[in-house]
Amino acid sequence: MIGLKLSWRYFWKRRISILAVAAVALCVFIVVVVMSVMNGLVQEFKEKNHRFVGDCVIYSPSLTGFPYANDFIEQLEAQPFVAEMSETVEGTGLMTSPGSSWNVGVDYMGIDPVRHSRVTSFASTLRYHKDNPKDAFEPPYLQQIDGCVMGIDLILSRRSDTGQYDEPETPWPLRITLSSFPLNPKGGLARAGVDVVSTKTFAYSDHAHSGLVKPDGRLIYLPLEQARVLSGMDAPVVRSSAIHIRFADGLSVEAETEKVRTLWQAYVKSLASQPYAELLSAVNVQTWQQNRREFIGPMEKEQLMLMLLFLMLGIVTIFIIFVVFYMIIGHKTRDLGVLKSIGMPTPSVAAVFLGFAAIVGLIGSIIGMATGCLFLWRINAMENWLYDHYGWRIWDRSIYAIDQIPNTIEWPLLAVVAGCAVAACLFGAIVPSIQAAIKSPVRVLQVSQL
Amino acid sequence: MKQWSLFLCLRYLSRKRIVLLSIAAVMLCCALLITVASLFTGFICAVENSVGDYLGDVVLSLPPSYKIENYQDLQQRLEQIPAIEAATAVLGGNGLLLTGPGQVRAAQILGIDLKSRLRVSPLKDALIRQKTYAEDKISFALPDEVSSDVIGGFVGIGLIANPDEMTDSYNMQAVQAFIGQKAALTTGSLTEQNKSQPDAADITSPRFVRKVLRFTIADVVQTGVYDFDQNFVYVPIESLSALLYPDKKTCADTMQIRLKFGSDEETATAMIYGLLRDYADNGADWAKVALVESSRKMQGRMIAEYYKQLNMLMLIFGIVSFGVVLLVFCIFYLIVMTKQKDIAVVKSCGASSLSVAGLYLLFGVVNGALGAAFGAGLGWLITYNIEWVEKGLAAVTGIKIWKASTYMFSRMPNQVNWEWALWICVAALAAATIGALIPAVAAARIRPVKILRYE
Repeated sequence: MIGLKLSWRYFWKRRISILAVAAVALCVFIVVVVMSVMNGLVQEFKEKNHRFVGDCVIYSPSLTGFPYANDFIEQLEAQPFVAEMSETVEGTGLMTSPGSSWNVGVDYMGIDPVRHSRVTSFASTLRYHKDNPKDAFEPPYLQQIDGCVMGIDLILSRRSDTGQYDEPETPWPLRITLSSFPLNPKGGLARAGVDVVSTKTFAYSDHAHSGLVKPDGRLIYLPLEQARVLSGMDAPVVRSSAIHIRFADGLSVEAETEKVRTLWQAYVKSLASQPYAELLSAVNVQTWQQNRREFIGPMEKEQLMLMLLFLMLGIVTIFIIFVVFYMIIGHKTRDLGVLKSIGMPTPSVAAVFLGFAAIVGLIGSIIGMATGCLFLWRINAMENWLYDHYGWRIWDRSIYAIDQIPNTIEWPLLAVVAGCAVAACLFGAIVPSIQAAIKSPVRVLQVSQL
Repeated sequence: MKQWSLFLCLRYLSRKRIVLLSIAAVMLCCALLITVASLFTGFICAVENSVGDYLGDVVLSLPPSYKIENYQDLQQRLEQIPAIEAATAVLGGNGLLLTGPGQVRAAQILGIDLKSRLRVSPLKDALIRQKTYAEDKISFALPDEVSSDVIGGFVGIGLIANPDEMTDSYNMQAVQAFIGQKAALTTGSLTEQNKSQPDAADITSPRFVRKVLRFTIADVVQTGVYDFDQNFVYVPIESLSALLYPDKKTCADTMQIRLKFGSDEETATAMIYGLLRDYADNGADWAKVALVESSRKMQGRMIAEYYKQLNMLMLIFGIVSFGVVLLVFCIFYLIVMTKQKDIAVVKSCGASSLSVAGLYLLFGVVNGALGAAFGAGLGWLITYNIEWVEKGLAAVTGIKIWKASTYMFSRMPNQVNWEWALWICVAALAAATIGALIPAVAAARIRPVKILRYE
C-alpha cells in the first residue's frame, strides 16, 4: 500500500513527470488517429472486396475456364452451410461504340444478375436496378438487344471535387460493341477459319459503382450466355470461370471454404475420366481474402510499414521515460535510503518506481486517447471547414475513391495502444528502478552524500 | 570565456553517457525523416520522369478522329525549333494481344518510327535482346529473318509473363523464349461504310471495323515502369497505319517531343503552337485541334496530390519527433541539476549568467549537430542501400514489401533528397536548441551563494 501511495505522491509532486505524460500522450494521440484512419481505409477496402466476391470462390485463372460447374453447383445446393451460389464467365475484350472512333480494352464478366446479387453486392452497386437486378440487362430504350452493366468510370466522366458522379436519371441510349478472342478448351482460338474474334453489340442498361478501382474502371457485366459465346466457353463443352459462394450467416469463412475444397477435390477425382477434365486441375478454391490478396495485400503492407515506423518513434518515448525516471531517482536518493533503512525490501523499492511509470503511462494514454477520439470525431467536420475556407483537402475526392475520412473508433485498437504505451513506460523505467532498488542505504545516507 | 565553455561542453559530451541518449534520439528521428522524405520524393520524381522519359517532354496529341498524314514534315519542322532535341510520331490505339494458347491480354498499341523514337526515349536500354546493339542496328526484324514481309514488334514484359510472387522478378529464360514467337493483335478503326453492305443498320455513318495485325515478337521491353511494361505493344507505324487506314498515307496521331537540356517547357510549347498555327493557315485541319502539353503538366494534379501526402506524412512524423525536444530538455535539466556545484564554482570565478546559459545552449547545439550529422549519415546509408534493407526484411518476414504492381516501378528510389535532408537537420538542430533553452536558463539562474554555502 505504501508503495502505491509513494508512486502517486512522486507523480503528483514532481512536475517533470508532466513531460513524460505529455510525451506519452502525444505518441498515443498520433498513433490512435493515424491507425484509426488507416484501419478504417483498409477495413472499408476489404469489405468492398468481400462484397464484390462473396465468401468463397471456386476460380480458374485460365481464360479457358473449367467445365462441369453445374453438377457441382447442384451438389453444393444440397449442403446446409451454402446459402447462395453464382456462376460467372470472365474474359478480356475490346470495347467500342458504333459510330465512334474510340476503342478501349476491358474485362467482362458474364453473370445471372439475380443469383449474383444474392451472393455479392452486385445489385446494391447498380444505379437504376438496385431493387430489381433481374432487369439489369434490359435497356429501357432498346428492347431488341441485350443490355450490359458498365463500370461507372467507363461510362461517366470524372468525379467532381465533392467526389460525386453526375449521374443521369435514366441510362443514356448508347450501344457498345465488344470483341473478344473465343478460346477452345485447349486454349487455342475457337471457330478458327471463320473469324478469330467474336463480336457482339450490347446496349448500356446500367452502371455499377463498387468503389473498387479495377471493376469500376474496366469491367463490364454481361448476360451469362452472351459472355460464354464471346469467350468461346459455350462449346464444345460448357465452361465457367468461377463459382461465387455465400455461406449461411454466422459461419466461419475459412472453415466452410475448407469444406468446399474437400468437396471439390472429391468431385474433381470423380471426373478424372471425363473429357477436358485436365482443365479442373487449374481451379482453386479460395476464400474471398485469398482471391483478392493481390489487391488487399499491398494495403495491409502499408499498414504494417506504418506500424513499424511508429515503433521506431516509440523508442524515442522510451528514451524520454528513461531520462525522466533517471532524473527523479537521482533526486530521491535520500528518500530511498530512508525507505530501505526502515526495512523496505529491494523489490518493493523497484515496484514504487515501476508503479510510478505505470501511472505515467496510464494517464498519458488516457489523455492521448481522449484527444485522439475527439479529433477523430470532428475530423470530417474539420476537413470540410478547411475545404470550404481554404480549398484544402487531405484526399482529393476526384482522384481517390474515398467519400469520408474513416473515423470509427476501434476499442481493441485503443486497448492495444494503451497497453503498448504502459509497457513502453515500464520498459523505459526498468533500468532506473533497478538502479534505485539496489542503492545501499549506508552509502546514500552518509553525511558526505547529503 | 569561450575556451572554458568549449572545454566544459566537450567534457560533458565525453563524460556524461546520458548525452549519448539524446544524440541517439536526434539521430534516429533525423534518419527516419530523411529516409521517408527521400523515398517518397524519389518515388514522385520517378513518376514525373517516367512519363517524360518514355513519352517525351512535350506531347502533341490529336482528338481520335484526326490524323497527321505528313508527319515526317512536321517532325522535321519541329526539330528545327531550337528548344527541341528530337521528335517522333506515334499512332496509338487499344487492342487485344494473343501471344499463345489462352494468353489474351488487353494492350495499348503504339505504332512507332523506331529510328526517331530511339532519339526521344531510352527504349534501347529497355530492350532485352537488342540492349547491347548499336542504335542504328536496332530494328523490328529478327536476326535470322530474311523475309521483309514479316512484321516485327516489341511487347512489354508484363504482357507475356508474370513476376515471381516473392522476388517480383521475371523468369528471363521464359521471357526470352517468346522472342521469335507469333502474336496477334486485334484492334480497329473507324471506316466509312460501304453502301453494298446489307447488314449495316445505318449506312450513312462510319463504323468501327475490327482489324487483326499478326506480327512476330522481335524483342521484349522492360522499362521498369509497371504500367508501360504491362500494357505497351510496339509495332512499326507503317504497318499499323496501313492496317488501320489503308486509304491514307502513313499517319500518326501523336508527336512525342524531347526538349534540349535546360530548355523551358512553356517556351517550347508556345513555339510548337506557333508552328501549328502555320500548318492551320495552310489548311491542315488537325493543326486547329491539336493539343500541346508538357508531360509534367499532364500529371500535375497527381503529382500535387503525392506531394500533399508526403507533407502529411512528414507532419505526422514531425509531430512525433517533437518528443526529441522533451528528451533533450530532460537530459539537460538532469545535467544542470547534477552540475549545480560546478556551475556555482564557475559563476563564483566570474562567469556571467549569460555565459553559463550560452554554455548549455552551445551544448544543445553540439548535441543537435552531432545527432543531425549521424542521422543524415544513417539516413543516407539506409536510403542508399534500401534494396538490401528491403530484401533483408523480405527474407526475415517472408513479405515482399516493394512490388512494381503496387509502387509502379520495379526499382526502389535510392537517392537521398539533400534539400529535405538539410531542412530536417536544421529542424533537428533547432529542436535540440529549444530543448536546451529552459535548462540553460535554469543554469544561468543558479546562485553560487546558495549552492556553495556549507550547511
